[in-house]
Amino acid sequence: MAKLSLRNVSKRFGDTQVIHDFSAEVDNGEFLVLLGASGSGKSTLLRIIAGLTDASAGDVIFDNLRVNRQSPRERDIAFVFQSYALYPHLTVRENIAFPLALDKFKGWHHIPGVSTIARRVFGSSKDIVKQVASVSSMLELDEYANRKPGGLSGGQRQRVALARALIRNPSMFLLDEPLSNLDAKLRAELRGEIVRLHRLTGKTFVYVTHDQVEAMTMATQIVILHNGIVQQHATPQEIYARPANTYVARFIGSPPMNLMTADVTDGQPALGGLRFPAPEQLRLGNGTVTLGLRPEHLTVSADVDVPGLAGTVRRIEDLGADTLIGVQPDPALGLNMWELNQDDLLWIRQTGQTRLMAGDPCTVSPEARMASYFDSDTGLNLVSAGKDSDAGMLPTRG
Amino acid sequence: MTTQEAPPITQSAPHKRRLKAPGNRSFSKPARYVMLAALVLFSGFPLYWMLNTALSEDSELYGQAQGWWPHWERLADFGDLIGSVPIFKWLTNSVVIAGGTTLLSLIFAVLAGYALSRFKFYGKGAAGFLLFATQMLPEALLVVPIYALFASLGLLNGMGGLILANVAFTMPVSVWIIKGAIDAIPYEIEEAAAVDGCPRVTILSLVLTPLILPSIAAAAVINFFDGWNEFLLAKTFIAERDLWPASVGLASFIGQYLTSLNSVMAAALLFTLPALIFFLLVQRRIVSGLTAGSVKG
Repeated sequence: MAKLSLRNVSKRFGDTQVIHDFSAEVDNGEFLVLLGASGSGKSTLLRIIAGLTDASAGDVIFDNLRVNRQSPRERDIAFVFQSYALYPHLTVRENIAFPLALDKFKGWHHIPGVSTIARRVFGSSKDIVKQVASVSSMLELDEYANRKPGGLSGGQRQRVALARALIRNPSMFLLDEPLSNLDAKLRAELRGEIVRLHRLTGKTFVYVTHDQVEAMTMATQIVILHNGIVQQHATPQEIYARPANTYVARFIGSPPMNLMTADVTDGQPALGGLRFPAPEQLRLGNGTVTLGLRPEHLTVSADVDVPGLAGTVRRIEDLGADTLIGVQPDPALGLNMWELNQDDLLWIRQTGQTRLMAGDPCTVSPEARMASYFDSDTGLNLVSAGKDSDAGMLPTRG
Repeated sequence: MTTQEAPPITQSAPHKRRLKAPGNRSFSKPARYVMLAALVLFSGFPLYWMLNTALSEDSELYGQAQGWWPHWERLADFGDLIGSVPIFKWLTNSVVIAGGTTLLSLIFAVLAGYALSRFKFYGKGAAGFLLFATQMLPEALLVVPIYALFASLGLLNGMGGLILANVAFTMPVSVWIIKGAIDAIPYEIEEAAAVDGCPRVTILSLVLTPLILPSIAAAAVINFFDGWNEFLLAKTFIAERDLWPASVGLASFIGQYLTSLNSVMAAALLFTLPALIFFLLVQRRIVSGLTAGSVKG
């Protein structure tokens, strides 16, 4: 059982700073997801927690004990790799038994030659065989016990890797994009499996991924990293409802949040003539603000006379249960679309199908009270910043 | 619609035909067998002729044309030969020297190959190059300096010194073979082993070595044959007849005035057999090693 604290951890490789001053507290039993695009430093951070990479500065603390100098083994963690990292020359059973057999090694058992025999002898001892059998059956690996990893599918291999992690009964599970090499169906299946293992063991899980679906469905806490800087550390719901800054707003959600520049006059934001009721916490003078609306908080209708933003339907993506509609706002509105918006379109999510066709004129009506407001210079969320979630920092440029 | 000729109906599906390697189609099956038989004959004939010569009469070898079939009845004379020189002693010496060279060379090669593959250290490029550079110098050039060195260290006239000298010549190639093999093993496997509680020495012995076994076998063959066939150093360093390896012993059959061809061939045959057996033992591993790379680890 371990509570994980990271204090001012940073990492540089030569001149490149990969992680900037990272601090976090993770309580025992939490499922923390480190989410970020590739190169965000999330894997490096996980490897620092594991002891596979040294931190350049800062403390890694397990239950009040600073473990910076300890080997992965001494930290009592289990690590699941994206590439599975099974031992190809050992059978599934031997792979799972490997960490337990090594637990029994005394100093002289490590002598080359002796170690080979010792691993076999310990691996076939009664207690280990029993534990391997129970873990294999939990992960439905019994029938493959005598196969080598080469004869298994990707999903089965990752199950073996999970079994090898599980059997140790470690204080913490660290998983580095374990599902990235699998196809969509298996990914969903193993996602459920990992959540089940988390509930079953009640241990701390730290899980690295670039997949927001994995993060949203599995995590109890998410840390979003960008260029080695924490953007937001909060629950999945909080991150989705109140993204700390424009980066998070664009990173989470598919399609991402629509961002537009709204003019503010006398504290009242307006978008193409449409006024938005500013929340109480928001104190705006005159100027501009970046206004964000999730696709599901917009509705589109073919009726051009209703109040809203006039536009033309450009793209329709029918997902079956949902339909995504890309609308180009009427240039006459002078709507300043956020530079990052995909194809400069406003994306709307609607349940079911639509009768609209590409090229149709339409009106988009926002659910104004669901809007998010970001500082147009710093990109920080003007409502949530400094409240119950960690204040996000703006992504650095360059 | 114009009248277009329908594509000819073929026995096999087009995608299957394309999968066939071009080499398979260029020769018919009998032709391939004939060619293989020719190759076997080509490489096997010297061995057969060795046997034939060993079993021929002196008169045949120096006078009339040598017959195509061996005189099996002369097999008994092999016994005389074995009795006249300590051939088994020499063969045993050869096994010790070749085996020792192989073992020592492989131990060094695995350690050095691992270091060159996985560690970053100052002078790594230079170390790798120097290993290669030793191969650029001919053995004959180094015989005298090594002799002088060994004389002062008291390593002459012993198999230990000879093994040491052999290792110096055979190890560099093995290091590069094994470095290449370790390069191909994903580093995550080592990290997984570290997480599972292996110190580095145990990672090397329990995880890495089994994975690069085919390359080790390949290096072993090269080392063993180098040690087995080595003549120059053995001839120079070892004076005592009982300590000779078989390669030197074999050469001693060649006299200044008289060379008994059939005895030389008989001894040569005995010299070839252990090497052949060794190769057959490790050959299977090497072949499996050639296909092992295709399986994603």
